[in-house]
Amino acid sequence: MKEPVLWPAAMGDWKISEGPTGYDPDTTFKYMNGAAELFRAYNMKNLNVLRYEKQGRSSITTEIFRMSSAENAYGLFTFENDDPEAGIGQGSTFGGGLLRFWKGPYFVSVYGDSAGKEIEAATLHIGRHIAVSIAETGKPPGIMDRLPVGGPPYSRKQSWFLHSHILLNQRFFISHANILNLSGETDVFLAQYGSEKGKLHLLLVKYPTETHADGALMEFRRAYMPDASGKSSVKTENNRWTVLNKSGRFVIIVFDAPDEALAMRLIKATDTALSKEDR
Amino acid sequence: MKTKGAITRRDFIKGTAGVLLSAGLGSMVPFEGMAQSRSKVILIRDSNVLGPQGEINEKVLQSMLDEAVRVLADEKDPISGWRTYFKKTDIVGIKSNVWRYLSTPAELEKAIKQRIMDIGVEEKNISIDDRGVKDNPIFVNSTALINVRPTRVHHWAGVGSCLKNYIMFVPTPSAYHDNGCSDLGKIWTLPMVKGKTRLNILVALTPQFYGRGANFFDRRYVWPYKGLIMGTDPVAVDAVGAELLRLKRIAHFGEDRPLDVAPIHITVAEYKYHLGVSDIKRIDIRRIGWKEDILL
Repeated sequence: MKEPVLWPAAMGDWKISEGPTGYDPDTTFKYMNGAAELFRAYNMKNLNVLRYEKQGRSSITTEIFRMSSAENAYGLFTFENDDPEAGIGQGSTFGGGLLRFWKGPYFVSVYGDSAGKEIEAATLHIGRHIAVSIAETGKPPGIMDRLPVGGPPYSRKQSWFLHSHILLNQRFFISHANILNLSGETDVFLAQYGSEKGKLHLLLVKYPTETHADGALMEFRRAYMPDASGKSSVKTENNRWTVLNKSGRFVIIVFDAPDEALAMRLIKATDTALSKEDR
Repeated sequence: MKTKGAITRRDFIKGTAGVLLSAGLGSMVPFEGMAQSRSKVILIRDSNVLGPQGEINEKVLQSMLDEAVRVLADEKDPISGWRTYFKKTDIVGIKSNVWRYLSTPAELEKAIKQRIMDIGVEEKNISIDDRGVKDNPIFVNSTALINVRPTRVHHWAGVGSCLKNYIMFVPTPSAYHDNGCSDLGKIWTLPMVKGKTRLNILVALTPQFYGRGANFFDRRYVWPYKGLIMGTDPVAVDAVGAELLRLKRIAHFGEDRPLDVAPIHITVAEYKYHLGVSDIKRIDIRRIGWKEDILL
């Protein structure tokens, strides 16, 4: 099927010198080795790579990933978002010569391999052109907008949507083993809240079925809080609280809350935010 | 049961993760008892190895390589040094790295190959490769390997290390991503690799000390360190490389800004696979050449 994405044939003196070369989730390894695993963890469908060159010297590499959903494009984009917004697509960052943005089910990176205003302008222009050509738009996972606010300070920049326990550990280490039974079929929402007494994390996992959620909860209790005697909360060795709850096919866990009551409030607010459809 | 022996956040809070890690890794003896006592690593730098545009001065690079091998082997001249590690009947695979933004410089590959030929190895018995090593007949039949790659941060492993550079010897590299690629040392026990590596070289001409994402180069975090880090012990070489990047992050950010994952695979390579020394305090770093902003 023809991709409904257009890229400019040239931008000033920069002309396409390679590509587009198409890759599927398996052949992407040939292009970027193990780095492909990050994109596969967000259910990529395909990748198109183009290279622009200016008189055989500076080059601009463009990577256009089609993901399985807009939610996954958003999750991939927000997994790393340190740089300033560039106003392209539905969310973008630009820094160090690298433009990243998402729009609809697409995640796009455009990278200029040398410094300078001219190549940066060309990089941004190519990105804008591609973004405009993508007709589809999408939304971040709805629950991201319904995570509790009004309690401890919460920043959208410190929240992540992902699927894999390896990526979860990169943002908040829980266990080297997959004790929450995460997979491509689970949606994971992680939010960091600040409080006067330090950071705490809210984890929300959506499982395919309630049975899956029950199994994961049992596994987590056994590995993480064997000393809780069947209760849903435990004071951990740093004198902070881990509290959990199950709501339909969701598991909600608060880590490192300064007191049990605050963790309970966050869990209750999260549970309230889950609509019947979510459950 | 999946959770049996799982190391959790709570173990790190308790400070018992190291003990559990050791037990989980199958080491039945205390850390210090099992550890190799000390290791030697050469750090050589030359301010003239890079030109103003980053171009490599081949003559300077060749002399850095020779001097590092000479000191490492504790010989009087470079060729004698090279002969310490290779014989003319060897079949030599030079495991390079082709990541397009920061690859092993062709000038260094050429310099290594030249010296291997200078000690009498026939050119037909030498190959330089990265992604094709598994099926490359020279690597398949090799009697000696040289491991050479740039030092940089890495999304899955924390740092792109000499240990990590052998990932292309396995059919499914991504199978090693779990737990910060902790089991990379296992690759070094495979028959195609085991016991063959004579030299490990981390290219620190322009290291990358920080980054974002899995496939993104970031020139803001690259600096002209103009060095090579070399040794026979891959773990010690990697430990020195990782420490260099850590110290540069502190110098640049004013703090050790955390990476996506800690380079745990270097420690595991010592305590589980007994491949060398990971503790920087037990590594004798021989510093040669340019000392300005040396960090280490």
